Parts: sequence; C-alpha cells; structure tokens
Amino acid sequence: MIHDDVEEVLLTGDQIHARVAELGAELARDYAGRDPVLVSVLKGSIIFLADLVREMEIPLAIDLMEVSSYGASTESSGQVRILKDLSSSIEGRNVVVVEDIIDTGLTLNYLLRYLHDKGPASISICCLLDKPARRLAPIEIKYRGFTIADRFVVGYGLDYDERFRNLPYIGVLRPSVYGAAVPE
Amino acid sequence: MGIPHGYDPGPVGATLTVGSARFAHQSEAELARILDFYQVAWRYEPYLFPISWNADGAVIESFAPDFYLPEIDLYLELTTLKQALVRKKNRKLRWLRQLYPELQIKLFYARDFRALMVKYGRLNFLADVTAMNGNGPLNDR
Repeated sequence: MIHDDVEEVLLTGDQIHARVAELGAELARDYAGRDPVLVSVLKGSIIFLADLVREMEIPLAIDLMEVSSYGASTESSGQVRILKDLSSSIEGRNVVVVEDIIDTGLTLNYLLRYLHDKGPASISICCLLDKPARRLAPIEIKYRGFTIADRFVVGYGLDYDERFRNLPYIGVLRPSVYGAAVPE
Repeated sequence: MGIPHGYDPGPVGATLTVGSARFAHQSEAELARILDFYQVAWRYEPYLFPISWNADGAVIESFAPDFYLPEIDLYLELTTLKQALVRKKNRKLRWLRQLYPELQIKLFYARDFRALMVKYGRLNFLADVTAMNGNGPLNDR
C-alpha cells in the first residue's frame, strides 16, 4: 500500500529486487576469487547492501562507514567528518563502495579520497540509484541499479528526516511534506 | 581559499563573505560553504570570458561563471534570479559554450538550489533568504 506522503511509486519492490539480483550476479562474476570488501555508507545503504550481498554467492567481507552531512552538522564543525570508520584494514583489498543514491557526488568524492589513502588494491562503485542532474563531482559508477530523474525519493533505506526508510519500494515524496512553508 | 576549519557560518544574512571571497548573493555564499564542507576547492568568479565583440574587435560583452572547481575542472553558474534575467543568462551561456566548447560548465537553477537545501535540511535558509531580499532563490520559477 502506498504511503500517504508518497505521491508516486517510482520503483516497486519487485523491480528493485530483480535489479539487485542482476547487480549481485554481476559483482559475483567480476569478483570471484578476489575476496572483495563491500563498504557501505550508513544509513541509507544498509537495506541495499543486505539484499545485494545475499545475491553474491562468493566469499566477501562487509564493512560500514558513516560520514557527517552538511546541514545540521555544519554548525558544529564546518567540515565533513568520519563518524564511523572502517572496522578492518582495506590495504591491498578489492573494495566495492555500495551506495544507495549518488546525487551531487560530493560525499562520495570525499569518501573515495579517504579510502584511496588506505591503500586498497582497487575501488569500484556500486549504487542503486544514480541521479545525475545535479552532479558536481565526477564519479565513475561501474555498477548502477537505476538512473532516475531529479525527484526527491524515499524508501528502501532512503529517508527524509529519518522517516520512510522502511518502505519496501522507492517513491517520490510529496513536496508538501518537506516544503509546506516554502513556496514552490 | 575556503573556510578555515571550524568555521561557523552563523545566521543567514550575517555575511556575504566566505573566506576571502565576497559574494553577490547569499545562495552563492551557501554553495561555497557546502563545497568547503566537502573539501572541494573553489574559486569565485576567477575568469572573465569575452563573448561578444564590436566591429573594431573590442569586447562588448563578457561572462564570468560564478565558481570554478579546479580539482574537477568544472565551472558552476548559479542562476537564482528572476526569470527574465535567467533568460538573459541562458543566452550568454549558449554563446560561452559555442565560443569555448572545451569548458565544462554546469548550470544550477533555483530549483536545483532549492532541492539541495531540502536535501541538507536547510529550509530555514531558503525562507530567510526569501524574506531578506526580493530576488531570492525562490523567485526563480
């Protein structure tokens, strides 16, 4: 059932799961015998990561990171910070960064520089949603689920103000939810 | 270039200055703060590109993109102006692209900026800027 705050279902659960299965098979083929580490960025990517790794029938490791976001955290530091670092070394490892959505690319651009400094053997990007309309930092995406238009999407891990992550589909949020006080 | 570590942008409207740059509009200052936050180097209006000449070869019109991101080699133009001015800017941008096809330039319209503010939970910024001046980012529709 569609949530009242969602004006349109962009991707159904079935569509997502079918594409995630394809991505998982592709990654498993490319990384067979390479013992990859899938590094996911909290919090939005965890549902995608959980489904993706279950489609990869090869030995692999997972790790989680969290980075601060511009906005509320700006007042406290003025600079992006690693809130949760890697649990294990990635030196010499084949790393796949798993992202829920790539928009401006600024967060990932920072994160990639950080990860490169850790000396991995390779890094590639796997994202569920690619939203290129406002891309500022060029990001080479090797594994891409869907390319979407410039809409504010929620569900399947994606939130607005920490809500909607548990929706089983990806939907377009009604503008009235986030912009009631802001004239369109 | 950029904001020193620990910089607090303070309330909207407190300053149009970020680091050593002085901006024409609050939305430009906000974008500079975002770029600084994510440690992306920027320069504000570093180059003026001639786009029109008279019969004697003198430059009669130029265009200075708002930002240049040297690490990315990308120019960024923020068009948070009234629609009539946006049309004029679009025309200039077309000429710029024709004359300098090697330039990578990205245009950020008011709706893009608004979406960015929504993404970062900065709706108060939008509301404050709109209240402060009549040609804020919400008027570009």
